[in-house]
Amino acid sequence: MNIREKIEQANQEVMKIMLEGQPTWVDVQPAGDVIPNMQKNMILYAGPVIAADQIVKPVRVAISGAAVHDGLAKDMQEAWQKVLAGEIVIDSGQNYGCACGAAMAVSASMPVIVVRDTLTGACGFCTPHPGGKREVLRWGYYDDTIEADLCWFRDVFCPALGAAVRHQGGINLKEILARTAGMGDENHTRQPASSMACNMLLISALTEVDVPQRDEVIRVLAANDRFFLHIMMAGVQSCTMAMKQVPYSTVLAGLGGNGVELGIQVSGMGNQWFTAPAPKILGMFINPTWTEDDILGFLGDSCVTEVYGLGGFSAIAGPAYVLMTGGTFEEARRRSDCARSLSLGEHRFAPVPWDEGKGLPVGIDVRRVVALNKTPISHGGSTLKDGGQGGSGCAVLPMEMFKGALAALGQKAMEDNAE
Amino acid sequence: MKTDTKKLQELFDAKELVVVNVGVSAFGEAIQKQGAQVIQVDWKPMAGGDDEMLKLLEMMGM
Amino acid sequence: MKQYAQIRKNEYHDSLELLLATSILCEKDGIGKGNIAMGNAASKALFDSLGLSNPLAEQAGIMDVIIVAEAQSEEAFTEAVEATFEQMRGKKESNPSKHFDTTQDAVRAYPDAQLCVISVPGEYAKAEAMKALEAGLHVILFSSHISPEDELELKLFAQSRGLLVMGPDCGVVNLAGVAFLLGSVTDRGPFGLCGATGVGIQHVGALLQAAGSGASQIIGTGGGDLKQPVGGISMLMGIDALENDPATEYILLVSRKPNEEILAKILARIKDCSKVVVACFMGCERKVVESSGAIYAATLDEVAVKALELVGKKAMLQSESELDEMAAAAVVGMKPEQKYVRGLFTGGTYCEEAMNAFTALAGDVYSNAPLRESLRLKDSLVSCQNSCVDCGEDEFTAGKPHPTMEPSVRRPFITKEASDPEVCVLLLDFIFAVSAHMDPVGVVIEDIKQGMAAAAADGRKLAVVASICGTDSDFQSLGEQRAKLEEAGVLVCQTNYLAARLAGKIVALRNGGKQ
Repeated sequence: MNIREKIEQANQEVMKIMLEGQPTWVDVQPAGDVIPNMQKNMILYAGPVIAADQIVKPVRVAISGAAVHDGLAKDMQEAWQKVLAGEIVIDSGQNYGCACGAAMAVSASMPVIVVRDTLTGACGFCTPHPGGKREVLRWGYYDDTIEADLCWFRDVFCPALGAAVRHQGGINLKEILARTAGMGDENHTRQPASSMACNMLLISALTEVDVPQRDEVIRVLAANDRFFLHIMMAGVQSCTMAMKQVPYSTVLAGLGGNGVELGIQVSGMGNQWFTAPAPKILGMFINPTWTEDDILGFLGDSCVTEVYGLGGFSAIAGPAYVLMTGGTFEEARRRSDCARSLSLGEHRFAPVPWDEGKGLPVGIDVRRVVALNKTPISHGGSTLKDGGQGGSGCAVLPMEMFKGALAALGQKAMEDNAE
Repeated sequence: MKTDTKKLQELFDAKELVVVNVGVSAFGEAIQKQGAQVIQVDWKPMAGGDDEMLKLLEMMGM
Repeated sequence: MKQYAQIRKNEYHDSLELLLATSILCEKDGIGKGNIAMGNAASKALFDSLGLSNPLAEQAGIMDVIIVAEAQSEEAFTEAVEATFEQMRGKKESNPSKHFDTTQDAVRAYPDAQLCVISVPGEYAKAEAMKALEAGLHVILFSSHISPEDELELKLFAQSRGLLVMGPDCGVVNLAGVAFLLGSVTDRGPFGLCGATGVGIQHVGALLQAAGSGASQIIGTGGGDLKQPVGGISMLMGIDALENDPATEYILLVSRKPNEEILAKILARIKDCSKVVVACFMGCERKVVESSGAIYAATLDEVAVKALELVGKKAMLQSESELDEMAAAAVVGMKPEQKYVRGLFTGGTYCEEAMNAFTALAGDVYSNAPLRESLRLKDSLVSCQNSCVDCGEDEFTAGKPHPTMEPSVRRPFITKEASDPEVCVLLLDFIFAVSAHMDPVGVVIEDIKQGMAAAAADGRKLAVVASICGTDSDFQSLGEQRAKLEEAGVLVCQTNYLAARLAGKIVALRNGGKQ
């Protein structure tokens, strides 16, 4: 087989994973127990690999806080010293199949959602969404209140979730998406319908299992209409961990920002990141007096949903979000049509009723991105330089990342074929 | 030496011509005006003309 | 007026769109000369040659649009540019056809597609043609500037798949009753046409229609098919296909003179052909052609005449005596110094045909595409004595579409030639095409009338002779266009050849019958 044929075959294999995979939420367990290669002294962060001294403030706070929470250091200053010294190891979460939302830092003791793709057996992880409070670890804050919340999550909330999900026999994420088709979620920055659908199953299961503080657990779930986001992030990771095992494939398998750089991964190059300066997410600000200058560049892994065809690539499914962030219905359609023209496949489980029943695009081919000279648009939330959410909107993905990935894929293909 | 003209005969006899028009859209419109179906390819130089990328794309199947 | 410039980044438009956009822009209030083009090297050179060099244009890449124009103010410029692009956007949105990014995408969605028409810039055309062939489509290749070696590679590959490549540089094709690119709509009939000159096959097709017959298929092979190294692959395939086509009873072949080897190949194939062939290989000897068993035709008109004889029909052509009558009437009232012809042609084939016909009657003709090098005009834009120019050549079209698409190219030259006191007759061709201007006569008729009136005011009589290549099935109205010309006093002949002969007779009369 020549290179073209190998790429074709590899992409078909990857598309099979994306289209036929069944990401299923099966458990909630401490990160150190379930994430392969996760160490006790390891902390994971969002986006591409970055040197400690480059890390932006909210992430530094989150990492230091996580270190203290795990008992790796006695205070924030010591924590950061240990990070700089390499005694506490930090690494890119997506490289472990663990997506980190915004500035979130994941340490070994933190329970994570475990999603398993029943097609390949691969698993993906993400800490549960912390809820609507402004000051949480996820947005780059750490104090005694936050520490207490982290402990509550660790000791009460997450074990309850785990019990509920196990009692359910697992929750199939595609079924949730299918059931809520046509309800206006784009499933990255806006997912009230999937969150409600998922929470219904959890709450129903919770009535049948014996867990401490059940009412409080239910109250927290019921208050969070973004809850499904982190489950979906873990779900996407369960697919991409298998996708990144397929050499030659040119399909997008990772997307995330660390506030300094935005990066992509492609299936055929595994965990290698291809980066560009992080663009800013623009659209609307929570406080209308804030401006572009107040926010960091793209920060967070929630955009792994885009890798699965959700978020900005499914903008037409959730046009309300686009309208809310300064766009039009036509712009929403344009974003999806752009992603469709760059994708190799189509999810058929959630046809969009007001878009002629078309499905959601899936499987961005970096060859098409470069050949057609256009990049898709990702949705997302922006982070203030000092921490906290700045606003929401979208960002055009930089072409540089895709060209870098294509060059690397081409180089590797040539080397492997020279043998 | 004579060619197999089966495919050409299919073209000659086409009841419903389906034409892919790559390039100048006015040419496609003229075909459409005559009642044939036109599929317009909105052609642009591939990869914005980036030669290095063009070589890679050619090798990789685009 | 000052020069202003704008770059629109990453906004690709096809060449014709931008040529038409240029026309739209230059008609806006407060705008003088201007040009709009993509930022590739060839276009940048064009801006320089139009006197529109601008440092901003240097920065543009091949995906960016460059706009440079002289305007009365910056506001006028900006407004005019916005309005122009707004108009273009509106046109695009009203086009209901399906759109795809690549040929492979298109064929995946429409696997029944049979044919691909390609009109992208020459340097990309080969790759696009290969993709179309690999997708199983026959190809009509309008693009030019493709090397003979690349043409050969394409045609060999196509042949191995039983597919036909029509082109490069092919502008006329009629298949399954549909006319493509610069072809005319013709009725169906028993004649299968195959030729290496677009105007040639279009012309014959139109004469067949006018006589009540028609064509089964009209296959253009492109101008390079009968040259080395291509060796006539497409013409031979065309003959094979027409021979096997039940709806084709007679085969008509047309081309400029092919080289010896290739001519021999074609003649050998004709000999082997089970159907009657009429052949016009311009400049070839009757004996040579007839040795293959083909019926010989010396001119395009004659192809139609001989073909129609086969089915008992007559070609509608003005007779010699009719032309003599028209010439005699035309010269009445001319001043003594009026003795030259000035021909302005949209088709290169017509220009050549006209010069051949004219020279036989009234002497040498200067041209930008002359019959002999010694007759080349020093400046294409400045005529001398008897002159016929091909207005489709680069020096006329630079920055503008081909005259068939944008007939206004000829306007200033019509006025100029008409005002020359030594000119007795203007010679013009009009060519209809499905993608061409819908009112080619209308664009120049005022200039013709004014030219004739100005001559009259000056005591001169200007004769204007024209021919129209088109059918009554074309979108342009043949009857209406002819009537418009005749109302203005233009002498309309059935064909370019006859028009050239009429002009020749007029000039011969002015020169006292001197040859």
